[in-house]
Amino acid sequence: MTGYVGNRIPRVDSAAKVTGAAIYGVDVALAGMLHGAVLRSPYPRARIVSIDTSAAAAAPGVQTVVTGRDFSLLFGGVIKDQSILAIDEVRYAGEPVVAVSATTEHEAQEALSLIRVEYEELPAVLDMRAALANDAPLVHPDLHTYNRRPGDYIVPHTNINTIYRHERGDVEAGFARSDYVFEGEYTAHALSHAALEVHVAIAQYDSVTGGYTVWVSSERPFILRDQLAPGLGVEPSRIRMIAAEVGGTFGGKGIPIAEAIAAGLARHSGGRPVRVEFTREEDLVASQTRVPAILKLKTGINRDGFMVARSAEVLWDSGAYTAYTVDVSIRGAQTIIGPYRIPNLSLLSRQVYTNKPVTGSFRGFGTTQVTWACETHMDEITTEMGLDPVAFRLQNGYEEGDPYINGQILHGINLTDTIKRAATEIGWGSVERKPAPHLRRGKGIAAMIKPSKTPSSANVVINLGQDGRAAVVCAAPEIGAGQRTVIAQIAADSIGIRIEDVSVPDADTAITPYNSPVASSRTTYHMGNAVLEAGTKVQAELVALAGRYLEVDPDELEVRDGGIFDLDGEHQITVKGLLSKYSKEGYWITASARYSSAGSPLLKADPGEEWISSIFWMLCTHAAEVEVDVETGVIRVVKIAAAADVGKAINPLTVEQQIEGGVVMGVSNALFESFSYRDGRVENGNFADYKLATIHDIPEIVPIIVESVHDEAPFGAKGVGEPANAATPPAIGNAIFDAVGIRIRDLPITPEKVLEALEEKAAADVSKLKPPL
Amino acid sequence: MKRLLKFDYYEPASLEDAVRILAAADGGASVLAGGTDLVVDMKTGRLQPSTVVNLKGIPKLAGIDAADDATRIGALTRVTEVELSELVQSRHPALAQAASILASPPVRGLATIGGNVGRASPASDLGPALIVHDARVAIIGTEGAREELVEKLYVAPGVTSLAQSDIITHFTLPLQPPGFGSAYVKLGKRGSGTDIALAGVAASVLADGDGEIVDCRIALASLGPTPFRAVGTETLLRSKRATQALLATAAENASHEAMPIDDMRASAFYREKLARVLTDRALRGALASAGVEVAA
Amino acid sequence: MMITVKLTVNGKLRQVHVEPRLTLLEVLREELLLTGTKEGCGVGECGTCVVLHDGEPVTSCLVLAGDADGAEIETIEGLAEDGELTAVQRAFVKTGALQCGFCTPAMVLTTTALFRKNDQPAIEDVKNALGGVLCRCGVYPKLLEAVTEIKGANP
Ligand SMILES: Cc1cc2nc3c(=O)[nH]c(=O)nc-3n(C[C@H](O)[C@H](O)[C@H](O)COP(=O)(O)OP(=O)(O)OC[C@H]3O[C@@H](n4cnc5c(N)ncnc54)[C@H](O)[C@@H]3O)c2cc1C
Ligand code: FES
Ligand code: FES
Repeated sequence: MTGYVGNRIPRVDSAAKVTGAAIYGVDVALAGMLHGAVLRSPYPRARIVSIDTSAAAAAPGVQTVVTGRDFSLLFGGVIKDQSILAIDEVRYAGEPVVAVSATTEHEAQEALSLIRVEYEELPAVLDMRAALANDAPLVHPDLHTYNRRPGDYIVPHTNINTIYRHERGDVEAGFARSDYVFEGEYTAHALSHAALEVHVAIAQYDSVTGGYTVWVSSERPFILRDQLAPGLGVEPSRIRMIAAEVGGTFGGKGIPIAEAIAAGLARHSGGRPVRVEFTREEDLVASQTRVPAILKLKTGINRDGFMVARSAEVLWDSGAYTAYTVDVSIRGAQTIIGPYRIPNLSLLSRQVYTNKPVTGSFRGFGTTQVTWACETHMDEITTEMGLDPVAFRLQNGYEEGDPYINGQILHGINLTDTIKRAATEIGWGSVERKPAPHLRRGKGIAAMIKPSKTPSSANVVINLGQDGRAAVVCAAPEIGAGQRTVIAQIAADSIGIRIEDVSVPDADTAITPYNSPVASSRTTYHMGNAVLEAGTKVQAELVALAGRYLEVDPDELEVRDGGIFDLDGEHQITVKGLLSKYSKEGYWITASARYSSAGSPLLKADPGEEWISSIFWMLCTHAAEVEVDVETGVIRVVKIAAAADVGKAINPLTVEQQIEGGVVMGVSNALFESFSYRDGRVENGNFADYKLATIHDIPEIVPIIVESVHDEAPFGAKGVGEPANAATPPAIGNAIFDAVGIRIRDLPITPEKVLEALEEKAAADVSKLKPPL
Repeated sequence: MKRLLKFDYYEPASLEDAVRILAAADGGASVLAGGTDLVVDMKTGRLQPSTVVNLKGIPKLAGIDAADDATRIGALTRVTEVELSELVQSRHPALAQAASILASPPVRGLATIGGNVGRASPASDLGPALIVHDARVAIIGTEGAREELVEKLYVAPGVTSLAQSDIITHFTLPLQPPGFGSAYVKLGKRGSGTDIALAGVAASVLADGDGEIVDCRIALASLGPTPFRAVGTETLLRSKRATQALLATAAENASHEAMPIDDMRASAFYREKLARVLTDRALRGALASAGVEVAA
Repeated sequence: MMITVKLTVNGKLRQVHVEPRLTLLEVLREELLLTGTKEGCGVGECGTCVVLHDGEPVTSCLVLAGDADGAEIETIEGLAEDGELTAVQRAFVKTGALQCGFCTPAMVLTTTALFRKNDQPAIEDVKNALGGVLCRCGVYPKLLEAVTEIKGANP
């Protein structure tokens, strides 16, 4: 099997995207379609005293006006704590309160101004630490009554919706044995996914069957369906999700957001489809964000540079509803020792509700926050002890065969080469300190580890049609990361046809078999395995058929490039030609396959802790060179060398894209992006003040593909999408320290913070110079 | 997507017609130039005019003309044109520089110089640059035509002294004698160039043959309610030779003249620091463009 | 109030009868059903909606319909002829200067306008030209590769 896998194949979705032909969620239009608009709460917390929708209902073009009264059911990811529209109480500024459908979007938006809502403001919880206080108002006093995944992770009658502990070894004894102990506190801020395509959905209700069809822009059509169903009071199979092209998600389009409102409106719009497209402001303020976190770390270390013990306390702010964040906080917190051997660990992770916008999964699923803290902390340790950050990481870093925090034996990992190659590429150890009187340069490094959602499964059906073309039917939407291309490469090679003859149609939960989300960097590995198996079956059937037709032993035939060859390489017949011999009766070859990581021997771990295991581990190291303008505090990132252990690159082009894109996002996250709140309300709900990196702001980026050998991976391929952005912010922060000796522990790293820290440092340096009195 | 509310739309062919329509409109009327402020203001709800009067059907409102004693820039001249004009680059470098870092190219291709002044944003880039060139703004209204210094037009954030029916027709920038130089520098949130100014400083100097500063102007953006002149700093610089020490004193002084506020973009603390650094950089730029070396 | 707007789009004369409150972006997407042009922010900040207006890139979300009267507009749909991609489009495909593709129409059009003026743009010219179009997927490095590719094809 040779051909496409492992090669730099142009993306199969390219032509449609460079010509404007690709149909995204926002482009879908149906005959008779209505348009929705949403009235949102101006307050972070308030009781809804009354709602008067009569004028809006009578406004031109308006079809229906719905409120929380119309939907009494709750939905959610792990805890069902959310309603389609607020019922009686609003819990964040921006929460949907009333929705309108009308003939045009103009009319729907205009009708909103005719709705009168009377609120009684209530004291709000706007700070995650304050949410822990005994007398804090409860965001969800009924938390203990909600339907939720079983387990004792909530603390009833508090704001804590997730508590998780993990102990390994004896942390107190570890600290006692340590020669040095370091402590630090770090914060990671809320970030918008800010996909350029906003949240959008079109829903239609069928009053005869009681079912819904929803056209979505989402990476997780099945999850969306399963989560929305309880909110609508129907079985999941009653909702059909059809995914269009996705204009970016980064983990942000996997829970019902626009979908919930569109479906809710559709339920009351007389069978007409209803389209709901968020404005950019709604998208920034009221979709979901990264979960902000405060992380306290304590590390014990020996004189010889080995880390002995770590204790950690992590506090996460889920915002008003939990969505995916129960798992984000747990899975993220589990990586709290980073990619390093630390035998003794004590972890307490808590997540609280606040009256802030909803948070959720964000590229990295909790590991970006943890990596920021861990790797900044590592740099503080090496600075204080006078150790070399690269050597220290190599000394403590995970190697093949090391046990993870649950005893799982790490397999198929190559952290070492990511550290070495990133360091070499950045020119570790040398730097031109002062390129101009007001500029200082420095270098920094950071590494990280990320699991992939485990267990999870992927199903696929491959249809090889009479024309020799195959459709790979699966629910793995192309979200920009190259899913379609990688799937097509594997299918083409495993069947033996040309990639031009492979299509990967859009996901449709009524047609495409089940797949866990396109998330957790799992698609290449999981869907890749399934496609490889199904493609191999198709090929076997082709060979058997060819053997019958050509009257030769099938073992003496092989399929490649869409043709059947004998073992001497003589072309016998094309695949299309072969199948067309059977055109009267009709001959399609169909094969299906399922891959699930459940039950893999690789997941073995300490008793009761197998659930923490990951089917594969992703590791990466980023090294940064930065330049600090000491007069303005402005940071310019000069270069990032980003090395990722991807197992094997099925397509180096798309892997590079992920690494580069991750670095760009990491730079943007670290330096520019942040929400500004006033009285609990986001005041920068636009790109004028929620800034993303432009082409001016990016450094030279050198993507480095590091390989490792994983026994269960398709062709050895793991994943790459998520780790790519996590290591960039701490690498930048550490480089800033190297350049000017200031330590920023709370993101983002703004020029203002840098300048303030520089002044503090200058003052401290002066006072150090003063002779004692 | 965010939709606009209804309005009546006119494309008059003459200034007289435009003034008449504006004067007659009730319920708020706005002049439309490039629309890069107006359309945004209408989408965010800051403005909800019931009448929009597009000026682009009126002849002669766009273009840059060189007279012997002045440069005339029509109100509808696009920012891109100001940026790329060799005439502006050589005669009024601060203005060309401000134009080159105002917003992004696809916005600059729409935005006009008249709209930038008409919007009266405290963060306006062209305002300070026009001010340090002693630019005058020509206005036509129900009472006829008049002219005043650009700096006199600003009243408050987003407010000019223009009446609803007043239209800016052009700007006049006097030609400066040899020994003149100017520059504009700003810093935005991304540090790299074209963002709305967290702070911006325009400076112009006129130096004699010995490198003494005969006259100068300093105007600040995002450091007060409107673009305004740091008059005290100008006085401090006048009749002095440009030395490192003088620049440091001037920069310090300008940071005291600044009236920065805290907002979501930056703190007053940081803006004050920027006022100092950017004044220093703008003055150095202006002196360099005047051909003056800063003495030790 | 309704207005009639006549404009040339991708070489064809089009006429629409619309409310003046529509933007050029809405006219293109909703009246002329050219959905290749996308909205990312609606207020000029992202450049996703860029089209060429008399050859120059502009943010179509800020252009009122009346202002488009008489204009010559090019959208992404107008570049390839009979399925034959342009050199710019081919370079994007080859170097991988796209991921989700949502910014791609604007990136391709902006790059096209740049190369029409200057077939050997310096890196700073490229950054200046493309600085107004955001890409959340972060294809910027690959965009620079695409530009190098196009320059190579235009010796
Ligand atoms: C993404 C983005 C970034 C921006 N960045 C910057 C920046 O960095 N720096 C900066 O300074 N500005 C910036 N702006 C603001 C804006 O682009 C400029 O102020 C521009 O010059 C406005 O010109 P316009 O022709 O588009 O004005 P319009 O929007 O047409 O008009 C602006 C205002 O002035 C009035 N007006 C216009 N012309 C006249 C006239 N001839 N007589 C009387 N009144 C008139 C209008 O009624 C309106 O109230 C930005 C805008 C956007 C959308
Ligand atoms: S949509 Fe027009 S610039 Fe963002
Ligand atoms: S490719 Fe996704 S936004 Fe640019």
